[in-house]
Amino acid sequence: MRINPESVKALAREVFEYELTDDAAASVARILGAMTNGLRQLEVAGGSQPPFGYPTLEAEARRLRQRASQ
Amino acid sequence: MTNQAELLAFDVATLAGKLRHKEISPVELTAAYLERTERLDAKLRCYITVTADDARAAAQRAEREILAGNWRGPFHGIPIALKDLCSTKGIRTTGGSKILAEHVPDFDSTVWARLAAAGAILLGKLNLHEFAAGVTNSNPHWGVCRNPYNLERIPGGSSGGSAVAIVARLAAATIGTDTGGSIRIPAAFCGCVGMKQTWSRVSRYGVLPLADSLDHAGPITRSVIDAALMLQVIAGHDPDDATSSHEPVPDYVAACGREIKGMRVGVIRELRTDLSDAVAASFDAALAKLRELGADLSEVSLPAIDHVPAVVTTITFAEAAEYHQPWIRTRADDYGRDVRRALEAGMLMPAVHYIRAQRARAVMLAQAQSALERCSVLVAPTAAIPAPRIYIGANALMPNGDPVDMVAAILRFTAPFNVTGQPALALPTGLAPDGLPLSMQIIGRPFDEPTVLQVAAAYEAARGALAPPAI
Repeated sequence: MRINPESVKALAREVFEYELTDDAAASVARILGAMTNGLRQLEVAGGSQPPFGYPTLEAEARRLRQRASQ
Repeated sequence: MTNQAELLAFDVATLAGKLRHKEISPVELTAAYLERTERLDAKLRCYITVTADDARAAAQRAEREILAGNWRGPFHGIPIALKDLCSTKGIRTTGGSKILAEHVPDFDSTVWARLAAAGAILLGKLNLHEFAAGVTNSNPHWGVCRNPYNLERIPGGSSGGSAVAIVARLAAATIGTDTGGSIRIPAAFCGCVGMKQTWSRVSRYGVLPLADSLDHAGPITRSVIDAALMLQVIAGHDPDDATSSHEPVPDYVAACGREIKGMRVGVIRELRTDLSDAVAASFDAALAKLRELGADLSEVSLPAIDHVPAVVTTITFAEAAEYHQPWIRTRADDYGRDVRRALEAGMLMPAVHYIRAQRARAVMLAQAQSALERCSVLVAPTAAIPAPRIYIGANALMPNGDPVDMVAAILRFTAPFNVTGQPALALPTGLAPDGLPLSMQIIGRPFDEPTVLQVAAAYEAARGALAPPAI
């Protein structure tokens, strides 16, 4: 799918039931296009782990359980 | 006898000694700040809420405790203010938005809880760019915040109110937050100290998020030692923030008095390009001052900095859009235009982009850490330009009226260290020929805030204080 105002309008409507104005769709398409181009150059990051650590996941689960039991 | 102007000029380190030895009273100090705020804030618009009655009552309590010999520490009786992103029990917390205009939390953010326990007095809640999602602080809901050195210039943001309150002497110390530079940018444009410590060093519990994985809450202060004093209070693990670090908290204040002779300092090549003449001259002078202090300067290269705009924008927009999902779908018209556009773009950001951007962070940190194997700290300007002109909307203007390229001129310098999570402190390097403050960043190894503070304090002592603005 090409990133243009029509495609971002359609996506917002289908996924979020959200209506973008013409002006907003043009602006959002520009931003997404720039991000896509920028991130294409980041192939170098392919072998690295994203910074989501298990200790944080475990600590957050513990906190939520404590809160639920209060 | 201290007159009111002298009283308001003191930093926290100086005030703490005077309060402890009963040379001044928290009641008189708080009254002085409230009186000045009442007189000047209509012009500056740095407060969203002033908690005058609560502040006076807290000052009375602090006075009784200190007179009874129960001094709690350097923040006991110190009037401070918080960016209005920090939850305060029973006091509205708007996020600078229309959406949360009537929001009154029933709990305190950990940063405020720790400062309150240390005896700080809350003067009020400070203006910001709506939901911290921008750098101008031209807030459509709570007023256009103005730079104390030139009322036609932006203070920077998103913690603009926090920096203005320090420089205009409407609070002794403040808390800001920083996702792409929002502590350091206003500190740079207004001429004060802004410290973004290592990500996870300070709890984010109760601070309205912009992008959780990049957000920091930290000090904006009049001096480097004040930043150290404040960090000493707010740093440390918090069970309410699962991402907060268990690393022991070192003595930040002790680091401030050490000399930097022989210390190796890396100058970041990629952040010396496209600087305004005033910034270039001031940064060169700052480097010369560091050399005079005995630092050993060399150039370092962090080529991944070129990718930072795409990485930080992707992560920020996507995480922010997830948090704002309920409101953007039902109350879109209640957002300012620029913030609404960012959230709309974030809603449609593909997940693969987001994960790719997160993976890139380790690559960037690895480059910075390689440079920091040869150096103790890195330095760079905090922005390429002094504070631009106010333009109502998302942007700001150069002196010739052209729109500012916010990424190239500002975020390129600050956001890399949100991506890497390293500590970075902004401090003034002087005034431009047109009287606007200029600033340098000192960047350290993860959790090595003491060395960052050491270099900053040594430089600050050698340079001397900026001339205050005439408001």
